[in-house]
Amino acid sequence: MLIYIFKRLLIAVPLIFGVLTLTFFIIRLAPGDPAAFFIQPGISPNVAEQIRAQYGLNDPLPLQYFKWLANVLQGDFGRSFSRAQQPVFDVIADALPITVTIAALTLVANFTFGILIGIISAVRQNTFLDRFLTVTALFFYSMPEFWFALMMIILLALKFPVFPVSGLNEIGAESYGTLGFLLDRFWHLVLPVTVLSINGAAGIARYVRGSMLEVIRQDYIRTARAKGLPEHVVIFKHALRNALLPVITLMGSSLPFIFSGALFIEVIFAFPGMGRVTVEAIFARDYPLIIANTFISGSLIVLGNLFADVLYAVADPRIKL
Amino acid sequence: MIEKSAGRSSVVFRLAGSLLILLALLTLSSCSRHNGSNGKGAKASAAMDSTLVIAMLGDADYLNPVIGATVTSSNIFGLIYPSLLQSEFDTTTGLMNYMALEKKLRAVTPGQGKKAPKGAVAKSWRLSEDHKSLTYILRNDAFWDDGKPIVSADFKFSYQLYGNPVIASARQQYLAELIGAEKGKVDFDKAIETPNDTTLIFRFYKPVPEQLALFHTSLTPLPAHRWKNVKPDEFRHSPLNLTPLGAGPYKLKNWKQQQEILLVSSRKSNLPKPGTIPAISFKVVPDYTVRVTQLQTGAVDVVENIKPEDFTALLKANSQIKIKTVGLRVYDYVGWSNIDQAEYRKNGTFKPHPLFGSARVRVALTNAIDRQAIIDGYLKQYGVICNNDISPSLKWAYNNRITPHPYDPAKASAILKSEGWLPGPDGILQKNGKRFSFVLYTNSGNARRNYASVIIQQNLRAIGIDCKLDVQESNVFFENLQSGKLDAWMAGWSIGLEIDPLDSWGSDLKKSRFNFPGYRNPRIDELCELAKQKMDPLEAKPYWLEYQEILHRDQPITFLYWIKETQGFSKRIEGEELNISGTFYNVDDWRLKPSANIAQ
Repeated sequence: MLIYIFKRLLIAVPLIFGVLTLTFFIIRLAPGDPAAFFIQPGISPNVAEQIRAQYGLNDPLPLQYFKWLANVLQGDFGRSFSRAQQPVFDVIADALPITVTIAALTLVANFTFGILIGIISAVRQNTFLDRFLTVTALFFYSMPEFWFALMMIILLALKFPVFPVSGLNEIGAESYGTLGFLLDRFWHLVLPVTVLSINGAAGIARYVRGSMLEVIRQDYIRTARAKGLPEHVVIFKHALRNALLPVITLMGSSLPFIFSGALFIEVIFAFPGMGRVTVEAIFARDYPLIIANTFISGSLIVLGNLFADVLYAVADPRIKL
Repeated sequence: MIEKSAGRSSVVFRLAGSLLILLALLTLSSCSRHNGSNGKGAKASAAMDSTLVIAMLGDADYLNPVIGATVTSSNIFGLIYPSLLQSEFDTTTGLMNYMALEKKLRAVTPGQGKKAPKGAVAKSWRLSEDHKSLTYILRNDAFWDDGKPIVSADFKFSYQLYGNPVIASARQQYLAELIGAEKGKVDFDKAIETPNDTTLIFRFYKPVPEQLALFHTSLTPLPAHRWKNVKPDEFRHSPLNLTPLGAGPYKLKNWKQQQEILLVSSRKSNLPKPGTIPAISFKVVPDYTVRVTQLQTGAVDVVENIKPEDFTALLKANSQIKIKTVGLRVYDYVGWSNIDQAEYRKNGTFKPHPLFGSARVRVALTNAIDRQAIIDGYLKQYGVICNNDISPSLKWAYNNRITPHPYDPAKASAILKSEGWLPGPDGILQKNGKRFSFVLYTNSGNARRNYASVIIQQNLRAIGIDCKLDVQESNVFFENLQSGKLDAWMAGWSIGLEIDPLDSWGSDLKKSRFNFPGYRNPRIDELCELAKQKMDPLEAKPYWLEYQEILHRDQPITFLYWIKETQGFSKRIEGEELNISGTFYNVDDWRLKPSANIAQ
């Protein structure tokens, strides 16, 4: 298996590199100018030109590429154009923990509730409970998340002010002490995590229900029941483990999401996470930051897929890598 | 079987039940935590009571006056750094006034002069007879927050930073009159002299009107002792940018990038005094709806640019909110290409645009557009018909004898007919086989312009003009506009408080960066030049009156409406004076009512 992982990682290098090269050229060919902000009345016409010179944008494209390449091979992805010339990985390092916290909480909630609801609907197939859960799940699954987020804010922050509207902490939260601060942070995360996970859990529940139904009809489940095993052992030990195989694929492909962030949640709840970094970088034509983001999310997609494949082998002894 | 399924479900239910209880507990604990913070959490409410919260769209770029280029940045660093002079926009005359501790440019009109001159580092100034040198006498009791005195060398040092092309300051045109600037490089040894710590002399290569001289020499200084070892190419990413050392009423306590900038009143400041409110938090809230919601819940105290359509709901939901307006500085317009842009780009020659090349046609288009309907439908009392780019707020220069072009489709049709545009078989006007059909471009994400563009489309269709609408991403739109690829577009403009329209209307299209329509009228160039030569702006008034008449007649673009910017304030704020020069212009004098007085 180690050899397999090593091979996969080796293939990933040229792949990610190709993606970065493509991104490099595409963003430079797209209309728009990183110095456009400085072309406005009241600002001397020289400024935009000086800024472009600083960014090295006046060089011919191939030269820009080779300069960039030389830097990247030394691990230097450059400094952000739009964010006070911070090194791009500093920008990402600021945003990443926030995104990871939200996404990790969301994923846990997603899979816990998704799997649970899926099991309930499968085990109680065609009962009122199953139909109720199915309809509810579909209802939330088809709801646009940004709208749902705004509705939750109106309901739970405006009409019944239980949760805060936005932000990561209260004003003056630093004075609460560590536990108080963490609780305050948690209280700020309830709405966004709920919004994100209700939608996701609904999707996962559909997967789990389908795969669980298939497994429950298998002969070995009947055998397990026939030999008098308690029902919870049958469901959780024999059925669930097999039914979760497709869910593992989902888990692997959720990895990039953890790091890329959910833009609308970050905009609506004013969290300075990765989604906002990426989109603001695109609007500002902040080339180094766009490329660094592509690098991060590209690597994670590759790793996520690899992770899912390895998990398969762990969960199912029939699969050999 | 029945028994089994009962067993199965009981397991599942037990599990689901315990999870539900867990969830309920979590929710409860968070609820009680929240109530605690409102009721018993004295600390938190004390923090709210002493903190003014201002919502902002995005973070400040730099809290450094040399390179901070956004309005947000200058609002904030303006509170941190000292200034040579205090400036104020006089709303009765529309003129800028500049004040040193013991001298004012103009007498203050009664009812004006809310800004105390105590904030100025300059004690007084003297402009030489020939208007070519300006000497400031600085006070000797002004100190940076670290206790070092603010001296004339700080100003000279800072101007060298402003003028350094490697630093690329957005304010380098303030140096345009200093000696050497006419040759492209300011000669700082000659242009700025500091014979002693309290004397600062600026020298110009040409006579400069006093008002402009004061405006251009009063850029915010940096403390030289702190910055002198920073190399120019490291200036933009120096860590010192994160810990600004100032002398103003506030100082930076904490900057959580992309989240919050927290300023606290600077107890030692005498420029003019420590800020009245103990702390000001500038919070980044990118989403408009959320900003408005936060104003409604009281989580923030100030939200700028609230859309008129939201006023009713907002004021109904929370009676503790007031809407204040400032203006008029911003207008929207429909731009028409006056020249054939393709021809100009290809051969550099000027040919009238086939559709919009004639001034009479452009006047007809203005006649055809119901500007009042746009104002009534969207801006309501917060919009005023716009005739040209001199704002009615600049009262000293505004020409109030101009009658706006009326909404008169019949007149528009008659003009177009006399210009040879006759209805074709499809109902669209035609001239020499060319249909009057074009695309009106605008940038995305502006609800007001979207609203206006639809009305314009209908208005034009009614007189037989085919106008298609297209919305482009802002960056793309701006690039297309600059490269002359658009025949007709809708955009907005925010005017400066000094009148200097050559950038927009100068005939030399290479120099006039914002003359997107390609409008050329030598008399406009002349008038701008004549006005510049007057040492007293009031003497230039006749030129500006004529300038406005010409623009009104030529309609290089269709000026639509001036916009009063509308800002939402919590009523717990007292003492706020909004001024055309900025919403936060006297924020150091604002006060907060204690929360006990705020009835929910």
